[in-house]
This record gives sequence, C-alpha cells and structure tokens, in this order.
Amino acid sequence: MKKFLLILLTICFAMLITACSNDADGQEVDEESNESEETNETTETEEETTEEASDEKVEAVFWHAMSGGGQESIEAIVDNFNQSQNDYTIIPEFQGSYEEALTKYRSVGGTEDAPAIIQTFEVGTKYMIDSGFIEPVQSFIDEEGYDVSQLEENILNYYTVDDQLYSMPFNSSTPVMLYNKDAFKEAGLDPENPPQTFTEIKEAAEKLTVKDGDNTERYGFSLLNYGWFIEELIATQGGHFVNNDNGRSEAATEAVFNGEEGLRIFELMDEMNKAGTYGNFGSNWDDIRAAFQTENTAMYLDSSAGVASTIENAPFEVGVAYIPYSEEAERNGVIIGGASLWMSNGIDPEKQQAAWEFMKFLQSAESQAKWHIDTGYFAINPSAYEEDIVKERWKEFPQLKVTVDQLQETKPSYATQGALISVFPEARQQVVTAMENVLQGTDPKEALDKAAEETNRVIEQANRANQ
Amino acid sequence: MKNATAFQEKTLTQIDTKWRFVHWRSAILYLLPSMILFSVFLFYPLGKTLYLSFFLTDQQGVANVFVGWENYQYILQAESFHKSIKATLLFVLYTVPTGILISLFLALLANEKLKGVGFFRTIYSSTMGVSVAASAVVWLFIFHPSMGILNQLIASVGGTSIDWLLHPDWALVSVAVTTIWMNIGFSFLIILGGLQNVDEHLYESAKISGAGYFYQLRRITIPMLSPTLFFVVTVSLINAFQTFGQVDILTQGGPSESTNLIVYSIYREAFVNYQFGTASAQSIFLFLCILIVTILQFKFGERKVHYQ
Repeated sequence: MKKFLLILLTICFAMLITACSNDADGQEVDEESNESEETNETTETEEETTEEASDEKVEAVFWHAMSGGGQESIEAIVDNFNQSQNDYTIIPEFQGSYEEALTKYRSVGGTEDAPAIIQTFEVGTKYMIDSGFIEPVQSFIDEEGYDVSQLEENILNYYTVDDQLYSMPFNSSTPVMLYNKDAFKEAGLDPENPPQTFTEIKEAAEKLTVKDGDNTERYGFSLLNYGWFIEELIATQGGHFVNNDNGRSEAATEAVFNGEEGLRIFELMDEMNKAGTYGNFGSNWDDIRAAFQTENTAMYLDSSAGVASTIENAPFEVGVAYIPYSEEAERNGVIIGGASLWMSNGIDPEKQQAAWEFMKFLQSAESQAKWHIDTGYFAINPSAYEEDIVKERWKEFPQLKVTVDQLQETKPSYATQGALISVFPEARQQVVTAMENVLQGTDPKEALDKAAEETNRVIEQANRANQ
Repeated sequence: MKNATAFQEKTLTQIDTKWRFVHWRSAILYLLPSMILFSVFLFYPLGKTLYLSFFLTDQQGVANVFVGWENYQYILQAESFHKSIKATLLFVLYTVPTGILISLFLALLANEKLKGVGFFRTIYSSTMGVSVAASAVVWLFIFHPSMGILNQLIASVGGTSIDWLLHPDWALVSVAVTTIWMNIGFSFLIILGGLQNVDEHLYESAKISGAGYFYQLRRITIPMLSPTLFFVVTVSLINAFQTFGQVDILTQGGPSESTNLIVYSIYREAFVNYQFGTASAQSIFLFLCILIVTILQFKFGERKVHYQ
C-alpha cells in the first residue's frame, strides 16, 4: 500500500514538474523586468542629479508611452535637448501603454499637476480636442510664425482639425505587407513582384500554403485581429469608416465601415479562411510576428515601426510591399498611425514654453533621423531622410524605404486622413469581434452589420452624454 | 424595608444604564476602525456604483445624463452580455468542481505519513506562491499558436494541433485549465489543513472494526472534512466569478467574446470604453448574482456540513 502511494506521489509530482520548470521561467521573466526596472532607476537618479544641478531651469514633465528601444531613444533625445540649452529641463516619464497614459491623464488633465507634454495615440485625437485640457500647438505656431511646411504633409493632415494643428506629430507609422521571399521562390512566385490586389493575394496564398495531412505547416496570408488594419484596408480603397466625411466635416453620427469597401475585405478573409490558406494567429502582435518568423505564415500586415526588427531577426529574406487593395477600387494609400504630442493648458506658461521648445527640437532633422533609425517610425521632418545615418541604414535595409514611399505616394483625402470619433477604442473592439466571428464561419455581411450597429449605439450614447 | 428595596433597585438600574452606555461606547470605539475602513473601501464605492449605474457618463467620467433603468435594460438584452453570463457560468462549472477534486485527491495523498512527504506538500502548494500574471504569461507560452509546447507535443505524436486560445470553444477551456492549475495550491493547502484536524481515534476505531480505505474515506474523512470543503467551495466559487487577470493576459476576452467573463467585461466597459454607467450596471448585476449564489449555498449546502 505504501509503495503504491509513493509511486502515485511521484507520478503526481512528475506532472507538476513541468509546472515547476515553468515557475523558473516565470522568475526569469521577473528578473529581467527587475533588471529593466533597475536601469529605469539609474536613469531616474541621473535625471535627479541633472535636476539638482539646474535649479533655475524651468522643468517640464513629459509623459510618454514608449517602452523598450523607443524609451531608450526618446530618453537620449531628451538628454540631447537638455544639454543643448540652459533654460529648460524636460523630464521624461514612462506612463505605460497609450491607453494607460491616457487614463492617468484624464484624472490630472486641466490641473496644475498635469504634465506639460503627453504623448497620445492617433485614435485619442478627438477625445483630446474635446477634453478642454489641452492648448493647440497652433497658437504657438502662429505666435512665432513657425514654419510647419517642412514637415511631412500626410502626417500633418491627420492631426489638423478645422485648419488647426492641435498636436505635434511625433511617432508615426503606417501598415505594410511583409512577405517571405524564400517561400515565394519555393512556391514558384516572383519574390520581387509581390501580389498587390485582393485577387492576387488569394491566388498567391494558395500557392504558398503548405499542408501536412490535417496540419497546415504554412499559411499563405494572415491578418492580425486588430481594428487598425481594417481601417487601413478600407481607406486604401477610398472608403470611409464613419459618416460626415469620416467625422471631419461634422461630428460623426453613424459607422459606415460595413459598406462595400469593408465587405470586400471581410469576404476576402472568409474565402481564404474557408480555402484553408488564411492563418489566424489571434490579436497579439508578438504572436503573428512569431508566426512569420517561424514560417507559419508567408505574408502578413505589420506596422512600419516593426519592419526593421523583423528583417533583422528573420532567418530568411523578408520583402516589404504596399498594403493590398481591391481591384474594384483605386489605390489611395494609407492613414497615418502612431501618436502625437499634446500640450496641457492650465499650467505655468513657462512650462508651456519649455514644452514648445522641446517640440521644435524634436522636429529637427537630427532628432528625427535618430528616432527613425532607432525605432523604424517615420521621420516627421522629411529632410531627416537626407542625413547620413539614415542613408547608411537604408543601404543596409533597402526595405525600409518602401514604407516611406508608400506614405509619400498617399493621395490626401478624407479617406486617408483617417476617421475622427471619440469612441474609437470601442469601435475597434467591435471590428475585432467581427473579424473573429467571420473566421468562425459567420457570414461577412452579418458580422460587419452587427459591429456597425453596436458602434452606432456607442456613438449615439457618447453624443448624448457629451452635449 | 420596602423603601430600601425600591431605592436599591433604582440605583441598580441607574448603574446598569450607566454601564450599558459605557459598554456601548467602548464597543463602538473598538468597531470604529473596521467601520471606517469598510465605509471608505466598500460601502462608499458600492453606493457610488449604484448611483453611476443610473447615469450616462461623459468623457471625463462625470455622470451627467440620468437615464433611470436604461443601462440595466440594455445589458439585459445585449447579446454580448448574454455571452458574458454564459461564459462565466461555464467557466465556474469547468473550474470549481475540477479544481476541488484534484486538490482533494492531492491532499489525501499528501496526508499519508511517509518519508519525505513534506517535500511533496511544498510542491503541491507551490502554485500559491506564483502571481496570477506570472503564471498566465507562462501558460501563454504553453498555448502559443506557433511555438507552444503543447501543440508541438501533439504534433510529435501525430495529432492535429489545436488553436488553444484562438478557437472560441477551446479558449475558455484553456483559461479554465490555467485557473485550475493556479488555484490548486490554495485549495490543497486548506484541505490538507482540514485533513490533519480529523481525530485519529476515529480511524483507529474504524480499523478495529475492519473498515477499508474507501469506507473510511466516505464515512469518516469526507464528513469530518465537510466544513473545510464548504469553505473551499464558497471561496472558489466567488473567485471564479471574479476572474480577471488570466483573461486579460491570455485572451483579452476574445475570440468572438467567448472568454469575456463578467469582470473582464466590466473592466473593458469602464476603463477602455469609458462607459461607467454600463460598467456599473454590470457590476451591480454581478454583485447580485454572487449574493444569490452564496445565500443559496448557505441555505442548501450547509445542511450537509457536519460540524464537530
């Protein structure tokens, strides 16, 4: 009896062993994060020493949402600014993701404790304008006669509302299609001539899909279940996301993403999914990137900000192409994604001045060139592309240039300016649910209509509550 | 003489009331800290939630349009909230019985007097020491669609790989498996404690009477353990209804809202969509559900509990 028990104990233990080794993994993750915390602390102490050294300087707090490489780069740029002059000190503070930073800002906005600058993602634009917590940067531009024409027009377009530039664009990205050139050769496709229309994508995906019995070893095409990609694919066909010219001529009252443009995308997904050539890797960016790296999918859409690291890490040759469009429509280009910098009102005017000086510094070709090569985000100031460090980087990764070309070829219109609604996060959730439903076999039209209906309800509620 | 008794009685009642007042005052003083804490952290938020559930909130979270029962009407007819309720009930069904059975089994094993059993007890309760976030991240890698060890194992024995977190039916199971694994440590520890409190003499008498292992288990262990089991069931049920962390890390409520458990849905309404009204209505609904379940449990479950 006792022997039997001992065996049983050991078996149960063996089953838990996997769990234990996983615990160890978990600790490693923790340690790593501790390390990064330590580095944060050291940078903080450095900041403190600089603070002490400069008592008379005007200090302005800058909330950002960049982690990892982006954080390092942004802190280096802030350091450069602080050393370049003697009047102002900018204190960068990481506040978590865009959503988290915005949630915190909601509670301090409009008070004296608000940070001078806050970085907010593009879909928060409408909220920030309506919040009343911010000073449009246009007032500083007018006062000083600052020339914004040196900046990228397509990026300015997004943040210009009612002819006013509300926030200073900072980190901007667009979607691009990444594909596995080696897989293209293997499948007998031309790696230098990637598919560009929905039908071409469908045909190429059929050739690229590799099956082993019931298991699909490699899917032809994948989309991340994320609303942004649907917005982009609608815009590139010239379609709108909401009515009233994408909410730009008047406040939007209704979602129109379930029109023919949206339907074409969903039908493409549905057809490919049923044919078994569409790989679904969920809604997590890292998962779809891992699927591409491990050659589980041959083509997918990604943000231009992720292109450089994907090319560096991939064990095969990576191609970069424009995002696909429907042959029934013309190619219009892409909407700018990413984030911009907003200036608080209700704070010390000196701090606002500090913020403005820093924003100008950020727009310089040098800062932008560093930012572009460190992160892969666009340079807001196109003259940055003339800097030597950028040229060298492009020589190394010629694919990076495709992302810039795609943006510069974009036709300015309401469609490519992007939608302006305050309930964007919820609209995106609805679109994601619709994507997931279609992949489970729901009729594309039905899934889209339901998402639009739900979005209409929140738009209506938000309009009621914010009168 | 008569007067004296009356006088005595009078002073006695006087002293009595005086002492009663003093007792009452000190009782209140003793209770005050917990009353203040409860009011600040429980009663005030509860009242505020109830208040918010009758309003629409603007972008600053200010309640400015009174809508009466509209938020409740909406959530009760909304399809996505029905899905949430269904997912939550299924989740409770998947996790609570399985988790407790496994913990009971492990506790029975670890309760035997063997050499080195302390080692096994430590291992079995070790999941208690891992935070929800850390273990969910670990399971995220186990379930990973392209690199997950689980799918690699299945593929190596020639099976078809499963979309653990990407298929609506499997996603809830995956989250449930993670939760069971995480909760085993706690339930195991409590049940083991209960087992150690069972009077040895009962087993000795049973042995003398010639009762077998399973007869002892059914007639002595389980009845004597029933207060502990009742406690574990109540706590596990409430925990299961309030699951959040693992959903947030593993699936974010997807795919097709199949893992959008009520607490996650509340979080998303409130802090992603800034619809504090709807979120509050959902919270009140959840509060009522847990209240009813717990009352029912005390009413029917407790009858079977044997207190020593």
